[in-house]
Amino acid sequence: MSAGIPPIKGFLETSFIDWPGKLCAILFVGGCNFRCPFCHNHPLVLAPEGMETIPFAEIMSRLAARKNWLAGICISGGEPTLSPGLPQMIARFKAEGWAIKLDTNGTRPEVLAQLLGDNLLDMVAMDVKTVLEQEKYARCAGGAVDLGAIRESIDLLRESGIPHEFRMTIAPSLHTEEDIVAWTQQFDRSRSRLTLQNFNPRTTLDVRYEKEPGFAPEIFSRLSALIA
Amino acid sequence: MGVVMPLNAETAQAKIQRVVNEDSTDIALFVRSSQDDMLGWNRQRIVDALLRETFIDRDTAEKISKDIEVTIQAGKVKTITGPLIREMVNAKLLEMGLEEARRMHTRLGVPLYDVDQLLVQHNKENANVPHGPEATNLTLAEGIKKEYALLHVFTPDVADAHLSGDLHLHDLGFIDRPYCSGQSLEYIKKFGLNLPHALSMAKPAKHAEVLLAHMVKFAASLQSHFAGAIGWDAINLFYAPYLEELDDNGVKQLAQMMIYEFSQQAVARGGQAIFSDVNIYWEVPKHFEDVPAIGPGGEYTGKTYREYEKQAQRFAWALFEVYKEGDAAGRPFFFPKPLVHITEKFFKTDGHMDFLHHICEVASVKGNTYFVFDRGDTAKISECCRLSFKLEASDIEDAKKPWKMRYSALQNITINLPRLAFKAQGDDTKLFQLLTEKLQLAAKAHSQKKKFIERLMSLGKGGPLSLLAMDLDGEPYLKLHKCSFLIGMVGLNELIRVHLGQELHDSDASIKFGLKVIAHMNIVCNKLAESMGMKFVLEQTPAESTAFRFAKLDLAHFNEAAEKVVQGNREKGEVYYSNSTLFNVGATMSPIARVEKEGLFHPLIEAGSITHIWLGEAQPDKEALASFVINVFKYTQNDQIAFSPEFTACLACGKTSRGLSETCPYCESKEVDGITRITGYFTKISSWNKGKLGELHDRYRNIDRFNN
Repeated sequence: MSAGIPPIKGFLETSFIDWPGKLCAILFVGGCNFRCPFCHNHPLVLAPEGMETIPFAEIMSRLAARKNWLAGICISGGEPTLSPGLPQMIARFKAEGWAIKLDTNGTRPEVLAQLLGDNLLDMVAMDVKTVLEQEKYARCAGGAVDLGAIRESIDLLRESGIPHEFRMTIAPSLHTEEDIVAWTQQFDRSRSRLTLQNFNPRTTLDVRYEKEPGFAPEIFSRLSALIA
Repeated sequence: MGVVMPLNAETAQAKIQRVVNEDSTDIALFVRSSQDDMLGWNRQRIVDALLRETFIDRDTAEKISKDIEVTIQAGKVKTITGPLIREMVNAKLLEMGLEEARRMHTRLGVPLYDVDQLLVQHNKENANVPHGPEATNLTLAEGIKKEYALLHVFTPDVADAHLSGDLHLHDLGFIDRPYCSGQSLEYIKKFGLNLPHALSMAKPAKHAEVLLAHMVKFAASLQSHFAGAIGWDAINLFYAPYLEELDDNGVKQLAQMMIYEFSQQAVARGGQAIFSDVNIYWEVPKHFEDVPAIGPGGEYTGKTYREYEKQAQRFAWALFEVYKEGDAAGRPFFFPKPLVHITEKFFKTDGHMDFLHHICEVASVKGNTYFVFDRGDTAKISECCRLSFKLEASDIEDAKKPWKMRYSALQNITINLPRLAFKAQGDDTKLFQLLTEKLQLAAKAHSQKKKFIERLMSLGKGGPLSLLAMDLDGEPYLKLHKCSFLIGMVGLNELIRVHLGQELHDSDASIKFGLKVIAHMNIVCNKLAESMGMKFVLEQTPAESTAFRFAKLDLAHFNEAAEKVVQGNREKGEVYYSNSTLFNVGATMSPIARVEKEGLFHPLIEAGSITHIWLGEAQPDKEALASFVINVFKYTQNDQIAFSPEFTACLACGKTSRGLSETCPYCESKEVDGITRITGYFTKISSWNKGKLGELHDRYRNIDRFNN
């Protein structure tokens, strides 16, 4: 039955922080095409096969029991759009009446377009790791990135008419203040919600980053004011 | 020259010399008496004390005193103290098999070494008590009163049960006070500040600030007559008639004054802040709608409280604005704790969603908000860590004269549940039998405390509890006949683990058995209440130090069994039992599951329960929290919830940051202190006992995402 369902490696029944304004469940799909050095979810990225897959039926029944409580399901990763079964899984959630939020890095605009076209998404949060310059982006994503795809995903969301946000995790070793200012300026804030997250040096994919501090709280709040 | 001899020392030496010279037949001995005096040896004093304090006969007393005199003479001591003589007499009494007389003649006090330790080291039994001269005064006084209570107020079976850790008699050091008090502001609005033996009396306040001053002083007086929390009912509503003269800034200013006054008033009871609660309603509670409002000068305003909804809401809003800002360093205020009642009427009152988002934002940013759920027609007033008083028909009648509304619990006793399971060895019948016995013993202890307080109260306004005997409205302030007697529990989760081999979160079967245990406690309490004519009610004991104490004692006395079930870190001595009926704090449970499942126990625990949701450093979305709160009201039986964030306060730069860090993220100083909820209130982690530190480490914070 559940052949083709993406490998769900983590599931949190109640999240207060993953869907602005809503109480949601969140599930994590294994596998990623980025190697962001600051990633906190790196087991999902580097060795998803070593993590137990939670049976889809179990997820469905645990969610069903919480139908009254939850406003929707957030699908995160890893990078969920890499899993061919993603549309099928979302369709099954949709059939049960769930609203869906997708977290993506925007490298698979064709998947995003399909999901949007089929009305399978109610909210999307896309990580835009830095300004769209190859060298900088590659450093943040841990490898070469097809910036055309990223741009295409940004445009898709901008035109989608559904609530969406672009977000960036910032670290002093990866982002200059100019980068951050330039990043915020490429979006139309009346259409898109923007979020900055301060890098938190804790169990990162690249262990060298565990010694890197985030931005000092004063600087971070000044930078956050850029998007307020 | 050069050395100045203290005058006293000189005369003392001279005096001894004189005694020696003048009367060589008497013992040349100087006695430092306990009355701040230095006396010559007089054997007769021993006889007098024995005859006054015990039931032994004169001849025996004479014989003892002579024996002591011989001993002292043989020792050729020059100076001796009253306490030492008393101990020698006690030893003699024991030698003669006069144990009862020895008990009556005993002296209460503290060894020199202990006092030295105490004056220097911080006592962490109650994290709300700071370290300082007032605090050590409190500890010393508590120490003696505790001994007194165990020797003189309670019978030996009760005292032994406490000392061995079968049960815990809370606040023994406050044996001469009731436990906690919830009241109405109307009392001081109507009568002014008119306390017995006060140096001056004040007429009812004419202005909001003066009313606040009266409230704070009254709370401080009450705090020195009760062992626990001082709670205030519907505070925003009862202030409302005073707010009409104030603009929004004035109301905010008043809110700020109230919160700062209560959080900084660290003077009473060992220098602790007044452990205070304010109950807040967005709506005008049904039972106050048609009550004539009292306004400035203690006069009726000619309106009913129904007409003060907007003013009351203005104050409620302002209070939470202040909570949101936190103190000057951005830390959360520890007191007064705001308890917002979520009721059917709340949802029918205009602006409730805005207010709900407002208080949820405070819950997210600072954590202060307590959400108290009063479903159906329930009305209650909550205070202390989770204690609440459900209002009965006679109380609703009192509500017409709200100054008459006051509630007190006289004492709190907690039962060590895991120990019952060690003793029952898997036998259900035995387990419930042991539980019944402990409940009977707790009831007996309660009746002994009641008798003692009655004795103090019978001395009336001339007695030690004159404040509680004050009868401005025709009844004593402490309505003894209406007092509750609390019975709590620690370690239901560990009882289940011993008895069934599973913890509460492991299976429905263990929850079901847990419910059976608590239901049994409830039934036995009701039966005892009926037969003894006292109101015994179950409460989730906060057990800030009891959860640690029981675990420690069980490790010492039931080591093999206890080792397998105590929580925490045994190597570091940071051991504890799960509080009351709470599930394992470290269990991976979604907040929904936790409020739902812990909430199953709440209807059985009449005097109040709470579910904690530990947030760690996560700062949740206020709308997500609001929808969670609404669902807790709609879909669960949970009585009360609070969300607890964690903070790091830097002692070097004075800034406050989110989450518990070892270094300050602003200035990288290591001089930091953590802040979060210990049990039902916020404190600095440096003041926590070891058991609570163990628990803090284990708390599940809903952020570990790959651990289902």
